[in-house]
Amino acid sequence: MGHGRRTLLCLMPNDFETLETLGGEDEVSLLEILDHVLNSGVVIHGSLVISLAGVDLVYLGLNVVLTSVETALNNLQIEEKRRQK
Amino acid sequence: MSRILVYCGFRHAPELALPAVGVNAAPVQVASFGNLNLLWSEAEWPFDPERMQKSAVEFHEVVHQVFKQTAVIPFRLLSVFDDQQAFTAFAAENRQRFMQDLSRLKDFVQMECVIYPRPSQIDRSSGKAYLQQKAVALRSSEGLAQAMQNAIAHLSREVRVREGKNGTRIFVLVERGRENDFRQAVTAVPIPSHLSRRMSGPWPAAEFLSEQVKMPQMDGAAGAK
Repeated sequence: MGHGRRTLLCLMPNDFETLETLGGEDEVSLLEILDHVLNSGVVIHGSLVISLAGVDLVYLGLNVVLTSVETALNNLQIEEKRRQK
Repeated sequence: MSRILVYCGFRHAPELALPAVGVNAAPVQVASFGNLNLLWSEAEWPFDPERMQKSAVEFHEVVHQVFKQTAVIPFRLLSVFDDQQAFTAFAAENRQRFMQDLSRLKDFVQMECVIYPRPSQIDRSSGKAYLQQKAVALRSSEGLAQAMQNAIAHLSREVRVREGKNGTRIFVLVERGRENDFRQAVTAVPIPSHLSRRMSGPWPAAEFLSEQVKMPQMDGAAGAK
């Protein structure tokens, strides 16, 4: 689990950048993208079944990423405040 | 090891421009099950954690390109199927429920607003001061969330509110094309000095999917990861 957490945190420096996607019509932050692609939408029921049966990567991966996004959202608020100063 | 990575489902329409490549530059393919189309590509499994951020953006761009043109049901990035057989079984089992949700949500997008305490205003001088301030912020946040819901009532088909560690998150189902009206209505609501607000959207209406679509049951669950 520690490995996964370190991996995501090392990606953090770019997380506050605003991305222009698909022609620049919509601007969304990377954190919002991560939050939506990982937390929103269809969850295939089998993932939990398989994970509990012993494939750790799926289960741990999901949890580590979700925890890190939560932490990252906290950091985003701090970063926004810094920018306002 | 290669798996089937599914991006999203949408109602078949020949005029839609579909993305050519997805995560890790894999060719995106369309699987049709009656009127339901599912976009998928092959993906190496497990995902390389070093490129997770890039994969997330690539995944998002595939979904977003379709969503810009029509309603979609997004899948989550870390869900994959073992093989075509498991994928096909899943689609056959859930096609009708997917089509019902697509029909219900076809004219709508999801807008979001998060209300959270301003970090610099947090008093950490003592535990008591912190908790007192937190209680005040919570009450204030609830009041602001209600004020925002009132302000957008004429624009919202449905609203869901979730309280989290980071604040109050409001999900609003808004008619496609009225996103700017939503932004203006939210911006017009005054914010107390100790709170902040962040808006985002439009997103696919994932928060408003039926429970059976969000977490579909599968007879062949062992085929999915």
